[in-house]
Amino acid sequence: MLKRVGYMLVTLFIIATATFFLMKTLPGTPFTNADRLNEQQLENMKAKYGLDQPVAIQYVRYLANLVQGDLGMSFKFMGRSVNEVIFERIGPSALIGFQALIVGTFVGLGLGVVSALRHNSIWDYTSVTLAVLGMSIPSFVFAALLQYYLGLKWGLLPPALWKGYEYTILPTLALSVTVIATVARFIRTEMLDVISQDYVMTARAKGLSETGVIVKHVLRNALIPVVTMLGPLAVNIMTGTLVIEKIFSVPGLGEQFTLSIVVNDYSVIMGITLFYSLLFILMVFVVDILYGLLDPRISVRGAKAK
Amino acid sequence: MSAELGKNESTLVSQVHSHSSVFPPAEVTDDLFVHEPLDSRLQEQVSGQTVSVWKDAWRRLLKNRGTVIAMCIIVLITLLALIGPQLSGLPYDEQNLTFSNLPPKVAGLEWLGFDGKDAKGIDQYEARGITEHFWFGTDEFGRDLWTRVWKGTQISLTIALLAALLDLFIGVAYGGISAFYGGKIDNVMQRIIEVLVGIPNLIVIILFILILDPGIFSIVLAMIVTGWVGMARVVRGQMMQIKAQEFVLASRALGASNSRLIVKHLLPNAVGPILVTLMFTIPTAIFFEAFLSFIGLGLQPPLASLGVLIQDGYVSMRYFTYKLVFPGIVISALMISFNLLADGLRDALDPRMKK
Amino acid sequence: MRRKKKGLSLVIALLMAFTVAGCNFNSEQTNTQTPAPNNGNQTAEPTAGKKVLRIYDSDEIPTLDTAQVHEDVSFAVVNNTMEGLYRRDANSQPYLAMAEKHDMSPDGLVHTFKIRENAKWNNGEPVTAHDFEFAWKKVFQAAGHYSFMFETAAVLNSTAILKGEKKPEDLGVKALDDRTLEVKLEYPNPLLNQLLSFPTFFPQKKEFVESKKEKYGLEFDTVLYNGPFMLTEWKHDQGWKYEKNPNYWDKDKVKLDQIDAYVVKDVSTALTLYESGQIDRVELTSSFVDQYRDKEGFLTIKDPSIRFLRFNHTHPALGNVNIRRAINLAWDKQGLTDVILNDGATPLYGMVPGGFFFSPEGKDFRQLNGDINKGTVEQAQEFWKKGLQETGLSEVKVALNLADTDTQKKVGEYLKNQLEKNLPGFTLELKSVPTNQRLELEKAVNYDISLSSWGPDYSDPMTYIDMWVTGGSANRMKYSNAKYDEMVKQAKMETDMSKRFQMMLELEKMLLDQDVAVAPVYQEGLAVLQRPTVKDYVVLPTAPRYNYMWVDIAGQ
Repeated sequence: MLKRVGYMLVTLFIIATATFFLMKTLPGTPFTNADRLNEQQLENMKAKYGLDQPVAIQYVRYLANLVQGDLGMSFKFMGRSVNEVIFERIGPSALIGFQALIVGTFVGLGLGVVSALRHNSIWDYTSVTLAVLGMSIPSFVFAALLQYYLGLKWGLLPPALWKGYEYTILPTLALSVTVIATVARFIRTEMLDVISQDYVMTARAKGLSETGVIVKHVLRNALIPVVTMLGPLAVNIMTGTLVIEKIFSVPGLGEQFTLSIVVNDYSVIMGITLFYSLLFILMVFVVDILYGLLDPRISVRGAKAK
Repeated sequence: MSAELGKNESTLVSQVHSHSSVFPPAEVTDDLFVHEPLDSRLQEQVSGQTVSVWKDAWRRLLKNRGTVIAMCIIVLITLLALIGPQLSGLPYDEQNLTFSNLPPKVAGLEWLGFDGKDAKGIDQYEARGITEHFWFGTDEFGRDLWTRVWKGTQISLTIALLAALLDLFIGVAYGGISAFYGGKIDNVMQRIIEVLVGIPNLIVIILFILILDPGIFSIVLAMIVTGWVGMARVVRGQMMQIKAQEFVLASRALGASNSRLIVKHLLPNAVGPILVTLMFTIPTAIFFEAFLSFIGLGLQPPLASLGVLIQDGYVSMRYFTYKLVFPGIVISALMISFNLLADGLRDALDPRMKK
Repeated sequence: MRRKKKGLSLVIALLMAFTVAGCNFNSEQTNTQTPAPNNGNQTAEPTAGKKVLRIYDSDEIPTLDTAQVHEDVSFAVVNNTMEGLYRRDANSQPYLAMAEKHDMSPDGLVHTFKIRENAKWNNGEPVTAHDFEFAWKKVFQAAGHYSFMFETAAVLNSTAILKGEKKPEDLGVKALDDRTLEVKLEYPNPLLNQLLSFPTFFPQKKEFVESKKEKYGLEFDTVLYNGPFMLTEWKHDQGWKYEKNPNYWDKDKVKLDQIDAYVVKDVSTALTLYESGQIDRVELTSSFVDQYRDKEGFLTIKDPSIRFLRFNHTHPALGNVNIRRAINLAWDKQGLTDVILNDGATPLYGMVPGGFFFSPEGKDFRQLNGDINKGTVEQAQEFWKKGLQETGLSEVKVALNLADTDTQKKVGEYLKNQLEKNLPGFTLELKSVPTNQRLELEKAVNYDISLSSWGPDYSDPMTYIDMWVTGGSANRMKYSNAKYDEMVKQAKMETDMSKRFQMMLELEKMLLDQDVAVAPVYQEGLAVLQRPTVKDYVVLPTAPRYNYMWVDIAGQ
């Protein structure tokens, strides 16, 4: 356990270092109106942000601040710290991300189960096609369609902005499409896998009802590995938020990230990168623990290894 | 060499060795074995009819209608990507402003919507007195979209294949070495992977694209920076599993060298999962390329990929719908087909799925 | 197992509650004030008899600290909520604002401003001369982005302070008493009044600034307003709300009661909001023009920003004047603006754009100097041949640096095709990079050709002319002409406006006709979709470009 935390810290340190030096090789200045500044003024500005120091000193300073949980000051949002920027924007991203995860998992579960139980039937093909469509249509196209039809043409839901709960529905739907697709496919294969296992055959042989077999043996065992999907799904959602938030004008973190890249807001890029990585690492960690709890075989094996 | 064959062999070998007092040993080391010269022809001798696992898988693959259709679509699209740009006789970057923004028109297919009418219902070809027909319409530069869509498909496929192949080489080498040598080497290599897995790949890709000059090669490079990790894990997992199986032990007992073990036993038996992973990598790479183009980190114009075309089409999708529809259909068809093919392959290669 | 699941769902519920709490929805109050999303083209509805304008901005406000503001979003907010000694009218001409009287010494070097008696901050306190002195010096202390505006205005010692030779306290500005401000200049400057309307010259109340410390200007209530409107709500990254400032000295001219501004980063989203009746005005990019061209409320506006090609004058081929001239002539500018851009942009055959800069006699700069370097492809090919002979090259392969926005990429694609088609042996490789990177490559003169942009800092042709002096910070292409430098210097000091204008006309000819230093591409246009009920929405040619105090909503 301690070892695990150690690896997580090492990973974070490597990511922090890598992003720092990547940022240093990034061309361009973080000063939006560099167009108008002369050499002297540019020097003054750099001095103000400590960019005139040797890279090694900047790096040590950056690490020292990082250890104290300080991600530095934003270049673009003058006078605001990166911590503030992240904290202000994480709420909306987390909300739609979380909703999408829940909606996506349940719908995906339904599709996957139907498809596995009616393997190679028209149901299976329809739901597989739906799932693959969900994975193959870029989410921004889907988002634009949702916005146009549900938001504008039929006027069912607000097409954009962020003013109340109903405003979260469309971005959630757009974001959940890939989740639905991924979960549906995963569940389908897992269930097919479990159905052909010997213990299912045994259960059937000893006369359990079909529903009993499916619910007690197949579904339950197929669900366990779904937990491992949480990591990839979180990444999926993160990727999604980068564009979905822009389309629906959600004041979230993903959009901020792409924007900071465009204007070279180094500290915000580094901050959000680290933040995302931390989330991701924690996610993987939690998944591993959950997995151990849900599937006793894993922890047994783990214990033996130690 | 096949899995069935391996199993036959292993039962045979375990019988031979069953009198050994130290079997099964805690760890299989070379000194447990006494090398014995053996007629190599006899090594593989099996009585009875053998069906190669590949033939078997192929037969099962063909039984799956979805997979067959998917394969046909992939072949068709690949062919079109290769010859499509030549069919209309117009280069993909030829501009002509008099042909700007023409809707698609195909003689004989008017009833399908290829009637040259814009969103207001005016036949632009008639209105502007143009006699040539553009099958997929034109963009604002007057470039033929038919040519550009297939040229774009060609580039997207190239990117995806390159990324997938590089993933494959690095992943197989890394995973193979890690699994084969085991012990300390494996330990160190696994720690490296653990760290790499902790890095969200999307962010790595974006950061790398920013630093490299945008282009096909940069996109591929950025995608494989962390992309190979998945493959390496799959390969390692498979190898570990196979390594522990009796037939490998048997082969070793029969005096097979390391290289022979890898080439004859480990790799062929891991090919299934590797192939499936590869098939899933391709659509993912296509998708990433499209995504990068959408957030403005794609290729340099006038080069077009499906992602670039979709991004262009997305902007004007309500008025010039055709600009989004054609590349959209091609990318979706590709993604669906590769995914279905991968699914089918997995079903076919996994004997447990056998009915 | 069951208990574990219960625990899990509890965690989920908690997480859910946490995220909902943390997601910063706007308050209920604003909810009721915007009409529900609806179909069709709905006009701005009266909100309890109030005149409300609903607009969007493309980004969050970085800061409202006038010493630091440096981009369009905050310029717009600051210009509408605060005010300097001068403000510009709808024709971009300066008129006295916070100051009621402006006296000048005979040599033009000492300016004395009398602050209005009814000039007040929104908290009721008077705006004093000290507030100006404090704010101006603060710009230098904080190394503000626009500190060079003081240099442009020729305020005494500004250059020396920027170079670090003098301290910010030495700036030539002094409050003689609460209502009298004295400004000393390095040389008489005919542009002073114009420049004083720029946000960097706005006042700040020292006691208030110091009480808010580093939070100054970061929330709607950590800054004071002395302009026509004041912010009464600011949800970060979502939007903000202006209300009429009851303490504004000129409040009778302000017609709107309220402005709701939303952050919308995607133009197609903004269009959806316009169509669903939630905002009143959208600025279109060229891809959307065809779709909305025939709609009611569509209009195009001329813009004084220009796009042009910088040439690296040290490049073996591009250093040749005939080759540069050939590149100038070899392509169809009309096709670019009419078909590709399609947003009201016009071809540009000069350095100074048309329609904005007039001689003291009222004649347009562009018309007076006519079209420079306008010709046919055949002429271009002749110059091209001549240039190749002179340089001894048979083919030229260069890279074009451009910003990676959709529009700029399109311009690049078009240029590549046209130039390669019309100039045999010419290859143009496109290299699109983020805007900031483009600027840095330009500054280091690390490019062959760069697709560059320039917008005016003030309403005078000089802002396009003095870029090209040797070693100037906007030169960035190693262009140098001693005669040009000398004449720019003279023109800047010239107080006879007619003579000055004549000199600037000559300078442009020297730059483009004689030296062909750059290749103008186009003058930008602005395509807008605006609800017909919105009246007198004026876009000024130079930053800050938006002033909502004249805007009216018809039918109310």
